[in-house]
Amino acid sequence: MNESAPIRNIGDYVPMVDGPEKVSGRALYTADILEPGMLAGRIYRSPYAHAEILEVDTSKALALPGVKAVVTGADCDKTFGVLPISRSEHPIARERVRYRGEPVAAVAAIDDATAQKALGLITMKVRELPAYFTSKAALALDAVDLHEHKPGNLERDVFFELGDVEEAFSKADLVRQSTYNCAEVCQNQMEMHAAVAQYDAVRGRMTVHASTQVPYYVHLMLSQILDMEMSQIRVVKPYVGGGFGARTETLNIELISALLARKAGGTVRTVVSREETFITHRGRPETDITLKLGMTKTGRITGVECECHQRGGAHSGYGVVTILYAGSMLYAIYDLKNVKYIGKRVLTNTPPCGAFRGHGTVDVRFAFESLLDQMAGELGLDPVDVRRTNYLNAPTFTDNDLMINSYGLPECVDWVERESAWRERRGNLPKGKGLGMACSHYISGASKPVNWTGEPHATVKIKLDFDGSVVVLSGAAEIGQGSSTILVQSVAEVLGLDMSRIRIITGDSDVVPKDNGSYSSRVTFMVGNAAIDAAQNLKQVLVQAAARRLEARPEDIECLGEVYRAGTQDTGASFNEVVEEALKDTGTITVTGNYSTIPESHGGRKYRGSAIGGTMGYSYSAQVVEVTVDEETGVVTVDKVWVAHDCGKALNRLTVEGQVQGSVWMGMGQAMSEETGYHDGLLLTANMLDYRVPTIQDSPPIETGIVESNDPHGPFGAKEAGEGSLAGFLPALTNAIEDAIGVRFDDLPVTPDRVFAAIEKRERALARAAARKKSA
Amino acid sequence: MEALHDFELVRAATLDDVLKARAAHPQSALVGGGTDLMVNIRRGIVTPPVLIDVTQVGELQAVNADEGALEIGASVTLNTLAQDDAMRRHYPVVAEAAHAIAGPTQRNMGTVGGNLCLDTRCIFYNQSEWWRSANNHCLKTTGDTCHVAPKSHGVCFATYSGDLAPALLVLGAEVDIASPSGTRTIPLNDLYIGYARHDDAVEGDGKNFLSLEAGEIVTAVRAANTSGLTSAYDKIRIRRSIEYPVAGVAVALLRDGDALVDLRVAVTGTNPRPVLLEGTAELCGGPLNDDVLQGLDALARDQIMPMKTTFTPGHYRRRVASVLAQRLVTRLYAE
Repeated sequence: MNESAPIRNIGDYVPMVDGPEKVSGRALYTADILEPGMLAGRIYRSPYAHAEILEVDTSKALALPGVKAVVTGADCDKTFGVLPISRSEHPIARERVRYRGEPVAAVAAIDDATAQKALGLITMKVRELPAYFTSKAALALDAVDLHEHKPGNLERDVFFELGDVEEAFSKADLVRQSTYNCAEVCQNQMEMHAAVAQYDAVRGRMTVHASTQVPYYVHLMLSQILDMEMSQIRVVKPYVGGGFGARTETLNIELISALLARKAGGTVRTVVSREETFITHRGRPETDITLKLGMTKTGRITGVECECHQRGGAHSGYGVVTILYAGSMLYAIYDLKNVKYIGKRVLTNTPPCGAFRGHGTVDVRFAFESLLDQMAGELGLDPVDVRRTNYLNAPTFTDNDLMINSYGLPECVDWVERESAWRERRGNLPKGKGLGMACSHYISGASKPVNWTGEPHATVKIKLDFDGSVVVLSGAAEIGQGSSTILVQSVAEVLGLDMSRIRIITGDSDVVPKDNGSYSSRVTFMVGNAAIDAAQNLKQVLVQAAARRLEARPEDIECLGEVYRAGTQDTGASFNEVVEEALKDTGTITVTGNYSTIPESHGGRKYRGSAIGGTMGYSYSAQVVEVTVDEETGVVTVDKVWVAHDCGKALNRLTVEGQVQGSVWMGMGQAMSEETGYHDGLLLTANMLDYRVPTIQDSPPIETGIVESNDPHGPFGAKEAGEGSLAGFLPALTNAIEDAIGVRFDDLPVTPDRVFAAIEKRERALARAAARKKSA
Repeated sequence: MEALHDFELVRAATLDDVLKARAAHPQSALVGGGTDLMVNIRRGIVTPPVLIDVTQVGELQAVNADEGALEIGASVTLNTLAQDDAMRRHYPVVAEAAHAIAGPTQRNMGTVGGNLCLDTRCIFYNQSEWWRSANNHCLKTTGDTCHVAPKSHGVCFATYSGDLAPALLVLGAEVDIASPSGTRTIPLNDLYIGYARHDDAVEGDGKNFLSLEAGEIVTAVRAANTSGLTSAYDKIRIRRSIEYPVAGVAVALLRDGDALVDLRVAVTGTNPRPVLLEGTAELCGGPLNDDVLQGLDALARDQIMPMKTTFTPGHYRRRVASVLAQRLVTRLYAE
């Protein structure tokens, strides 16, 4: 009798495969690449917010001993950008600068000090233009256009009305409208942006190491900017210290480094400062929202009207997609009919915004869940029940044609309601304490990639050789989120092997298959499915080999991981024996796995841009936040958070819990302390003292519940876990504050001074009312 | 990260070494933990050609505290101070203030002398060279305008933000100052000369905020005749660690029966100096009641003048400083 059994890991708490390198400090990041003869790259940045460039004089810099190359806008007339439809940005400004900090020139020198000195020798002459630091100012009728091809400084306006909103409001028992403002926030990955560009002048080849989430985009943009064949470019992604969306787009840093390297004929290493990392930005835009909801007295939403303005910054970037997400993702969480959306993505003289975690969905979700809560209160309904009243009936398609197959929101809501003892405690807490709840959702990868090529969405290769080691080759960018671990787990699970047999290689375009990258929470779903496909293909090869070895029919072969056998009485062949057999045919084995989304997931055609929001599976999240508000100082303390996340199936409970808690935590930063501030377009908060990311001291206890709705298309049933729980924190917090002190905050972040000011305002109003009463 | 400029590092072993180096290099800067100085150097705010490391100087390491007096050397680390048992028992205001500074890493490095002489701060000043240049510099560096108050007539409003100073001010502390020509001891309150009021005879401001003469260094801070005082420190922060005080308040008081017989309140993070509130003696004599607290509120509102030197509005900093002061007084009186 053979006691072997396949080894299972899915659903366990599995340590990250790259953990030992990271915790021991052995992991090498881009900035760790140091070679003899390497040049230091530095960027000269515009002190002007908006100006026509008349002259950039770099002659003195170039004459400085030790300076090997200087580049300006004159060195590159190409544009780059993540969206093929709106590439407005030059790596180095030409003709015009549009924000304070935009690159104007760059220097490669023998060391940092020389490069820095050279920057001080560069001068520019300009004709200043009016600059606009708010959406409103940029949209003014007499405003100068930032970009000639974008009249009125509108990067994109979106409009759709599905159903009849006016009719829906007329049928509602309660109609309310409110305005919301969410401050601009910026990602703060630990690692500052860095790139190392190596130009091989003999062969005309370029190798770039970059701190990126999408090496593929870097590859595309390098080819475009350098006007080089893609085949002559190699992109390597070393360990990356966080992304959060800031590194989805190719950044000017890697492009400028490459321009410098080619001009200098050598290697250029550019590691920018924290300030420059902030200025490079690609954060979440400042957003103004006007939201109107109609509701029946039972809490059913009859209609939605939402107008959303995003201050996008000086370039297109991801803007079109962000403003579309804000509208399309009104759907797919509740059963909505009659929705009208007006979105305006505005170009302003501030650093360009991008795809911050929860891309496009977060601020609108804040507004929606706030107004829902407010109206529930007015109607005397429990906020939890109002959510229940509006559940979707999955499987279904939304009015904007988003495909929903699995829907664990009800279980999420039940979990947080139960675990927080919502029924018993809400309304019964002491003065100054409150409970608030909210829901949120997110996509598991955009079902249509930005660069539509017709290729599969994901491709994974597995190599198996004489040594019996299984090597997974993937272009999926491990940026700390755990993608490599998930891929190793998936392959190990299919083959029934211990994870120690599996190695993974990622992040080198010379070696691994192309991948669309780590953004929109696509990797587990798409690359995970491709890894499963590859592992199944490998298993087929092994089963065939085992059949030959055991002189049995392939359909009778049972794979037990380390043993393959033909029936339970068979002692079988070991994995190594099967591998030996398999190699007889072909030598080293390589198999391919692919994954593509299905057309039904691609969104509809009801309005322009309606593909945005489409995905194979939506994650769902509910959370309850408990707060204490100090009414004398305005200090809000988060006492506890209960969060439940429907990730379909938790492939790795350790990383799922980490991602969910990280989302809550990042939401907490946006809700309570993080905001950028500008002084005439100069970023005032470009450091970690003034831009207040919460510290571990601010971290509340977070109870995490995992809901498994087993999506029919997900890898082992999984959906995304890394973003969907962010948005819910913001409204859950303000709803809790409202419960605690009766003051609702529609503007974020809710810093102590804002709470204090609101309480002062309330006290003054009460005093006035009392005085009126007295005099009457 | 900005590259450091070239400088000479002098590792002093004795106070004499320090004073000699200071005399030999008038443009030098003392470095303890470097938690503030190195940031300013990297930002190109200061470029001292010589740094004198004082962390190994034996004469600057004393930590002594009993119920009647305390003495703390300038090179004592903030963490040592925060963890010192005698300090925590007799002068909780000092230990609490030390513990409230920045985060554990900075407290392990930062020193008492560095915190007492902490450079004043301003959102227009604590920025990179590129930033300040793009903003035409400011009064505190090489510019001719204060961006906080463009009509300031040459007065710099940069804010003093050390946490230790108010804690020591309420204990009536003095500082020992050494120079090649000898030593002197002055009230800690006289170390600070920065004012934010135009109507006073302006001696100093946010730019010129310490009374140290060329070549002088602070070697120790001491307090005596503190028997019976109870004390505490608290500060408002937007987040709970790695924050300069939005407003920080230290209180020391003496209660005899129901009577409040001594009351001292000092505030940081609001003016170009730590502010030891004047007029608190007039609030003493009777029991603590609403009149006393309202009187304290009036003193705070009158003497605390935060300007827009931080991202957090001045109005809030002024009001919340008063709230903290009243709370601490109420708590200490009840103890």
